[in-house]
Amino acid sequence: MQFKCNETLPERGTHIALKAAGGGCQRGDGTSCGIVSNSATTPGDMTERGCTYAGCRGVVGGPVKDAIQLTHGPIGCAFFSWGYRPHLADTDFHMKYTFVSDMKETNIVFGGEKKLLQSIIEANREFPEAKAVFVYNTCATALIGDDGRDVAKQAEEIIGKPVVFFECEGFKGVSQSMGHHVGNETIFRQLVGSIEPEGDFSRTINIVGDYNIKNDIRTFEYLFEALGLKIITRFTGNVGVDELRIMHKAALNVIHCQRSATYIADMMHDKYGTPAINVTLWGIKHMSQALRDTAKFFGLEAEAEEIIERELAKIQPKIDYYRERLKGKTVFIYQGGPRTWHWIELLRELGMETMTAATTFGHDDDYEKIFEQISEGAMMIDNPNVPEIEEILTKRRPDLFISGNKEKYLAYKLGVPFVNGHTYDTGPYAGFIGMVNFARDMDKALHAPIWGTLRNRARPAPAAHHSAHGFAHGFEEAD
Amino acid sequence: MSCVTLQDRAVAINPTRSCAPIGAMLANYGIHGAITINHGSQGCATYPRHQMARHFREPVEVATTSLTEKTTVYGGRNNLLAALKNIWERFHPTMIMVCSTCLSETIGDDIPGVIDEFKEKNPDITIPIMSVKTPSYIGTHTTGFDNFLTELANTMPERRKKKGETNGKINIIPGWVNPGDIRELKHIVREMGLHGLWLTDYSETLDGGYYEPRPHFARGGTTVEDLRSSAKSLATIALQRHIGGEAARVYERRHNVPAHILPMPIGLANTDAFVETLTEITDHAIPEALQVERARLLDALVDTHMFTTGLRVALYGDPDLLEGLTGLVAEMGMTPAYILTADERKPWAERMVELTQELGVESEIIIKGDLHELHKRIKANPVDLIIGHSKGKFISDAEKIPLIRLGFPVEDRFGYHRRSIVGYNGAISLVDEITNVVFERKATAVVSNTLLEIGVEGHTSIPFTFTNGSTNGKH
Repeated sequence: MQFKCNETLPERGTHIALKAAGGGCQRGDGTSCGIVSNSATTPGDMTERGCTYAGCRGVVGGPVKDAIQLTHGPIGCAFFSWGYRPHLADTDFHMKYTFVSDMKETNIVFGGEKKLLQSIIEANREFPEAKAVFVYNTCATALIGDDGRDVAKQAEEIIGKPVVFFECEGFKGVSQSMGHHVGNETIFRQLVGSIEPEGDFSRTINIVGDYNIKNDIRTFEYLFEALGLKIITRFTGNVGVDELRIMHKAALNVIHCQRSATYIADMMHDKYGTPAINVTLWGIKHMSQALRDTAKFFGLEAEAEEIIERELAKIQPKIDYYRERLKGKTVFIYQGGPRTWHWIELLRELGMETMTAATTFGHDDDYEKIFEQISEGAMMIDNPNVPEIEEILTKRRPDLFISGNKEKYLAYKLGVPFVNGHTYDTGPYAGFIGMVNFARDMDKALHAPIWGTLRNRARPAPAAHHSAHGFAHGFEEAD
Repeated sequence: MSCVTLQDRAVAINPTRSCAPIGAMLANYGIHGAITINHGSQGCATYPRHQMARHFREPVEVATTSLTEKTTVYGGRNNLLAALKNIWERFHPTMIMVCSTCLSETIGDDIPGVIDEFKEKNPDITIPIMSVKTPSYIGTHTTGFDNFLTELANTMPERRKKKGETNGKINIIPGWVNPGDIRELKHIVREMGLHGLWLTDYSETLDGGYYEPRPHFARGGTTVEDLRSSAKSLATIALQRHIGGEAARVYERRHNVPAHILPMPIGLANTDAFVETLTEITDHAIPEALQVERARLLDALVDTHMFTTGLRVALYGDPDLLEGLTGLVAEMGMTPAYILTADERKPWAERMVELTQELGVESEIIIKGDLHELHKRIKANPVDLIIGHSKGKFISDAEKIPLIRLGFPVEDRFGYHRRSIVGYNGAISLVDEITNVVFERKATAVVSNTLLEIGVEGHTSIPFTFTNGSTNGKH
């Protein structure tokens, strides 16, 4: 199963597989199974991937609400990572402010350590109420050999609060994924366990790997609280620095994103013996299972059943309504990593089937979980690029595409209904309540009258004075 | 008299600017069928793509050479060669532009050398492949746009075959504007009975329609053939001094195409300067349609002056936008109390001092500035309006001062890329918008002008402070 757009890129075949009849795996390059993931991108293939800095500053560190988010580097990295990802909290300092040591050419030539130290001190002077300074390294400052760790140590002594230095220069890994790892490792090493509070922590948990996109956490934290559990730390949606510092006190780590946050749970397990469970907090079956698994750990099974029954009664009529409207639809899910496999079951609960599943930076274990869950005939694809996405949308023609903002307007230009799974259209989408939002958005996307208008009334592009270039190479033939 | 302040802080807090590659990418979008390869880390392509998608609400596609740790050690040559090959084979673009990054510049990759090597190995590939230097640590996002244009002027045009050979067109460099602005400028040029050669033109590529089937390349954009012939134009008009001014001078030096470098045509006088330049170049008279539009702008300025005169406003953004905007702001009787840019060029600041003096307004001109600095100024001495891109919303929210959105990026509103702020029509819509915001702020519940003038306020009213310190409301 080769893509037409990949005729000149045969290596892309190793990143694509079909689930064949009988459940076998049929890879794009003809070999038996296991697609290649977490490997270097083919240069110039129009990837959707970002960089290590993006994974660290944007995903893991950025949501921490009371830290000064300071980029050590030139201006662009700080500007572009500022304020667009809705990792909300009960305060908005982290959304409103971005700080940057603003490296100029002379700093690149003569080194930027002094300016970094000065920047940390000044930022802290402007916002003395901040609990810590998070410093993110970039390509330029890593290459010139600035010793950011040492500067952070000096700064810590001067300002008297944690200065956390993330070595997340953009070129470090093959995708954002490396940035998550750096973020986890650095926060664990520099913050976790640095405060030892007194008290009884026997009925406490951490929610690990949820970033509170459009207040996702609100849709499930009351459920855990209803069990009688207290959430100490949310890693890292709606979290404060002090909560990260006492994270090690929790009795259990409940891991949601199992790509960007398993690292810290593993390190906590090794150092503090903290047990962990993997959960999915989207969809009826998975959300219920998450409550059951968590309850089982604390011996609260009966309470969990009661809560589940009560909550399901609230949403079931709505879910039934949407299921009726959504059933039979096919979906192409393309998310960063685990959301792709988190949602296959949720879509089935709504009567829909995933026909293509892709991730930007998933690893082998993500693709194993996808493969297990997709139906025969469905395809999975690693790190898809723009022409591949276009070919999937036009040739495989899913009824619905769930992806992110960058892909949204491509889908719209091709007349494919779309739901924003990264930052949500009108979220939150997690938990039982969120599932209703998700279903409503999918219903809205699929049944908007605009698609009928396009089908009946759209016209070809008019000839332009340079139409000679209008329909080039490989795309002109009708399907 | 206006004064100049150089912001003196190492750390930038809430910058008004981003970095060079996005400028080159944007400019390249104005060439039909051209594709950008960004030579660096993946984030350097993905972040600007995302930013542009949020502003233009269009699919924005930029390739990256995906440099990683290994390539950083051994150099990015192989990745760039592979990217050039892959882009050519999969897309058959009309042109490729390779822009650099902090990473590729710092490790010292010789991009023009690699391009030459690629062309030697592939003699059948004859499309132009242009290289533009865009490390983030030099200048701002405007630097990338300007470097692109200078490079284009240096490398793309074909020399005149004989003296006096002409294509009958005028090179027009709009600078960093919106698709709606380019369409307005085109309208002016068309009404003048002239033909523009647009350097470059993303008025349709980044504000396209829905077609079935989707064209392989977005409709619109200046063709490579037009770029080739741009040395045969009658003149070059650069409508932003810092974006395209140098390119215009290159056309003059290398190809004898006279350069006209003008302020951004925002407001009456600045638009007049553009229109008058067109008449000087060609002897064409100002047509009836433009005379009517001009008169309509004057009429709008008269009708609104009692609501706008005396207001203090804060402006921030790119130098050229600020220069043009200051013209209109002063024509409306408002005082640009703060004019803040991230740019560090002193000559610009000095010109702004002269300009504000000519216009009879007094401003603090802040260079190397950021939005946190502006916020502190506004807290200490409030303004009535803030004018700039979306990132000023945090000041606007905190201080409850309305923000008039323009410039780049406007990511928290819809369709601003379609609007125009240039030309007579652009000025009219801006005058209307500003005045309406003033109305809304004064009294949403009050609809009569008479009531408004005697100071009756609705429930959402916030008192105004005028330059003389008086207020028109409670307090």
